[in-house]
Amino acid sequence: MTDTELDLRLPNDLAELDGLSSRIEAFMEAAGIGPTPAYRLQLAVDEFFNNAVDYGYPDGRAGEIVIEVRREGDKLHLVFSDDGDPFDPFAAPAPDLEGALEERHVGGLGVHLVRTLCDSFAYAREKDRNVKRLTFALAG
Amino acid sequence: MIHIDRIVAGTIVVTAVKGRLDSSSSPKLEEFLAGAPSEGTLLLDFAELTYISSAGLRVVLKATKMVRGAGGTLAVCGLIPQVHEVFDVSGFSSLIPIHPSREAALATMT
Repeated sequence: MTDTELDLRLPNDLAELDGLSSRIEAFMEAAGIGPTPAYRLQLAVDEFFNNAVDYGYPDGRAGEIVIEVRREGDKLHLVFSDDGDPFDPFAAPAPDLEGALEERHVGGLGVHLVRTLCDSFAYAREKDRNVKRLTFALAG
Repeated sequence: MIHIDRIVAGTIVVTAVKGRLDSSSSPKLEEFLAGAPSEGTLLLDFAELTYISSAGLRVVLKATKMVRGAGGTLAVCGLIPQVHEVFDVSGFSSLIPIHPSREAALATMT
């Protein structure tokens, strides 16, 4: 593993989250990624991991989540995949961000944050896995 | 990991949060705020908050509803640029007053 590539394979267990965020943070530092792209990618991994674990395995089966991060030129690439039930998060409707306080709910907010803060996003179902590919600009 | 402190500044209750507010730590803030008096003025000092996810935002929204429901006021202060961006993109900036620092917040809210 070089300083510009990270490849993590984790069980679908929320207990992994603390260790996961530390490892991503260490990678970002080693790869010299600025605080804003580092934060945006960290948020994407965090939101996707939570959603995958919370909703992807309703029968409680053991699963595997794979996170690949790569720095290439002026972009940061993230490939997040899980073997949970098929689900395209980007097909879900955007949450209500305009309503009065009483009407606000935060369902769908995580995905909204991720898709707004990345440069590009795509979803595919490949070999029984949900595969999400995102890029983040390194400038800013 | 997070660290939470409550400081009373005159009529304003300041809750200072240090660390990360994600799905594993947010329940601690939720519990802390649920045990606080909900009437009056609450300031969430996030100057040392390095990270917030949608799980953390959910707790902030819940606290805002609770405080306003009791006729009080809630504001946040000291957001680092990355946390501020999350507040902007989530639409929370139009819902909750954001002050640059605790001093600025206390001067405005008193």
